[in-house]
Amino acid sequence: MAIDPSMEPMLETFIYESNTLLEQLDEILLESEKSKSLSEDHVNEIFRIMHTIKGSSAMMEFNGISTLAHAIEDVFFILRESPEKLSCVSEALFDVVLEASDFLKSEIESVQETSEANRDASAMIAELKRLAAIMRGETQDAAAAPAAAAPKAEEAPAVPAAPEGWRQVKVFFEEGCQMENIRAFMLMSQLNDWCDELDSVPPHPESDASLCSEIIKNGFLVKFKPSGSVEDVLKAIEAAVNIKNYELLEEETAKATASPEQPAKAAGQTSTTAAAAAPVAASSNATPAGGGNKAKQSLISVNQTKLDQLMDLVGELVTTESMVVGNSDLKGLQLDNFQKSARELRKLTDELQDVVMSMRMVPLNGVFQRMNRIVRDMCKKLDKQVDLVTEGGDTEVDKTINEAIGDPIMHMVRNSMDHAIESPEERIALGKPESGKITLAAKNVGGEIVITVADDGCGLNPEKLLKKARENGLLTKPESEYTDKEAFGLIMLPGFSTNQEVTEFSGRGVGMDVVRKNIEKVGGTLSIDSAKDVGTTFTIKIPLTLAIVDGMELAVGDGIYTLAITSIKQSFKVTDDRQVIVDTDGTEMIMMRGECYPLLRLHRLFNIPTKVTDLHDGIIMQIESGDKVACIFADELLGEQQVVVKPFPAFLNKYELKKLGLSGCTILGDGSISLILDANSLLDLQ
Amino acid sequence: MNDELTTTVDQENQDDLHGRSLVFYIDDSFYGIELYYITDIISVLPIIQIPSLPHYIKGIINLRGKVVPVIDVRLKFNQEERPYDDKTCIINVLIGEMQVGLIVDGVEGVFTLRDSQNSLPSDAAKNGERYLSSISKIDGRVILNIDCNKFFQNDLQLY
Repeated sequence: MAIDPSMEPMLETFIYESNTLLEQLDEILLESEKSKSLSEDHVNEIFRIMHTIKGSSAMMEFNGISTLAHAIEDVFFILRESPEKLSCVSEALFDVVLEASDFLKSEIESVQETSEANRDASAMIAELKRLAAIMRGETQDAAAAPAAAAPKAEEAPAVPAAPEGWRQVKVFFEEGCQMENIRAFMLMSQLNDWCDELDSVPPHPESDASLCSEIIKNGFLVKFKPSGSVEDVLKAIEAAVNIKNYELLEEETAKATASPEQPAKAAGQTSTTAAAAAPVAASSNATPAGGGNKAKQSLISVNQTKLDQLMDLVGELVTTESMVVGNSDLKGLQLDNFQKSARELRKLTDELQDVVMSMRMVPLNGVFQRMNRIVRDMCKKLDKQVDLVTEGGDTEVDKTINEAIGDPIMHMVRNSMDHAIESPEERIALGKPESGKITLAAKNVGGEIVITVADDGCGLNPEKLLKKARENGLLTKPESEYTDKEAFGLIMLPGFSTNQEVTEFSGRGVGMDVVRKNIEKVGGTLSIDSAKDVGTTFTIKIPLTLAIVDGMELAVGDGIYTLAITSIKQSFKVTDDRQVIVDTDGTEMIMMRGECYPLLRLHRLFNIPTKVTDLHDGIIMQIESGDKVACIFADELLGEQQVVVKPFPAFLNKYELKKLGLSGCTILGDGSISLILDANSLLDLQ
Repeated sequence: MNDELTTTVDQENQDDLHGRSLVFYIDDSFYGIELYYITDIISVLPIIQIPSLPHYIKGIINLRGKVVPVIDVRLKFNQEERPYDDKTCIINVLIGEMQVGLIVDGVEGVFTLRDSQNSLPSDAAKNGERYLSSISKIDGRVILNIDCNKFFQNDLQLY
């Protein structure tokens, strides 16, 4: 089923909206499952989510999605009526709804990719129907009660109109203004400020486009309890756009107009709908919906490509700024005022850059939330008990990073669940608490985001790792020379997987090496720490910003290299030959304050012809990353500059320049290209 | 009259890319690349060398703010390197989504080779001419047509 071309512009909104709703749904379900109960708010919320998805997918003509959403909606409709029924289906219900939510997600994904959604959900629908039947069937009398109440339904709407203070206004919209249902909803939210309570006929106009014709024909009836005077409300109605006219109804006429509409609505669904929808749902739901809308008004969603574009532009601006300020025409001139203005400009571009970066920042909550779900599912499948503890979910990272680390974190959590955490019996035998614990924590340290995934499972066994590595021929030096930490590092090598069997969750040939690669792709590092029977901790460190770094420029031969200032500890000149030690392999080392650091000569490393080969002539920079420190030798320091990091062209990907210590390149103010040195991989070279 | 003219031009523009090739030379040999792949031709820009790449990848250039790798076609064809002069050009081609610059001795022009195209002698393929798709003759000159996909095959393979 291809989608109607006229719907295309709405597709994106549909996908975005549905995904957000489904995420909300997952969150609610997991929370409720944990507390083993569904609060009234949650039931209402789920009902609302499903209702919205049903409506919008029906509009987009994705019938599969819409029928499934409808089935879920039905189930929660029953629950809303009689919450006590939850007990008879609870477990099964959560499972099937979570499954349905997954199904919906994958359908929406396929919509995103192919604009089509046509998988069959009938099994789930049948299951939902069965659950609905159980809930209805077991309580014949209860089901009968709403049915008995149905005749009353016609009077029911009049009842809430009767109490003190309720007023009714019938609103007609301008002819041909379109989307009457949405306009009605907007009107409701505008009125929300002026009213204590608010209700409408039809209820929830925003969720069903088919109500448009009804609203055009019969008008939109707003029932409200004004917080101030009625005049205030009427003024607000007058101020709303596209309203043709409105009339304040006396209560007698209200009854007359309301009652014919109610059965009309009721006819669409079961007879109980009328009784429930109008008084219960509308009054309890309209307020939160209105309130939510108010909060939302300060947010707008922006296409990500636009943000990327903005980021690129800011990057260009930074480059151009240094082009102007460092212009060779200005060399040797005394320009006090110019320098002053230039500094001002620099300050502004810095600020602009910060703002743009902050716009792209999203909290890690979403990623952490997904892990909850995974832990839950795996607990069930593997018969383990694990609590997931998350800390610092509000830490913000760049959107691209957020997307890139979702999978690695998921993989690590799965690994911990599958391999590290023991079964409850084993844990008790070991004297550990019965249920295991996985801690996901994120925090902002300096210019880096540190994310840790820690478990209290069996820990890594260095001997086992070494044995396995030997079998796979991954060892590069004698086994006895490996420190524990190095042994742990082995699991991040391609072709290493310690699990004997391939399970559903991990060890599908994508091991920790893929995790590491993905993290490195966004400029991060991964390290492992572990103690036997105490647990394992994976630490991911990711730079806060990828795009723009403060760099120190070094000259080597004809080329210019940029090194991130954050990785430089100090720079100095060799004055005393005794500082330089050469060991038997010819490896040079620098002795400084009683410590020896290996020396890397950039011109040798990169094979660059240069005149400066004597250590006395050039400059030494001491660099560090993590716990490693080394010195590098360059011809000359050129100065500090803010640079925009560009990745190497994809064409060069296969040469793995990153392993050589080059993380990318940048275009300098004069249009020349400088290669960016990566301290981390330079230090790994030895 | 004028209208007629523009329509023919438009039609030409449409097929324009099809069957037309840019002909460049290295020493005395002429090579053709389908115009479809070519984005532009520039004179040689300063090239930044990158360590540990195959010798024929000379490095990267700054093409109007974009970082583009450049290949010396002489070296790719296992010929002697020679210093660049004012005839030397960089032909920028777009293959897949990758932009690559080709350094050649000079550019001859654009020719329609479709009609004059001959298939490649079968034994030529065996003789190491693995980058060619066909051979054409124009004004007595032999033009070796490069198959862009074959030419970049090795470079496009991942790992």
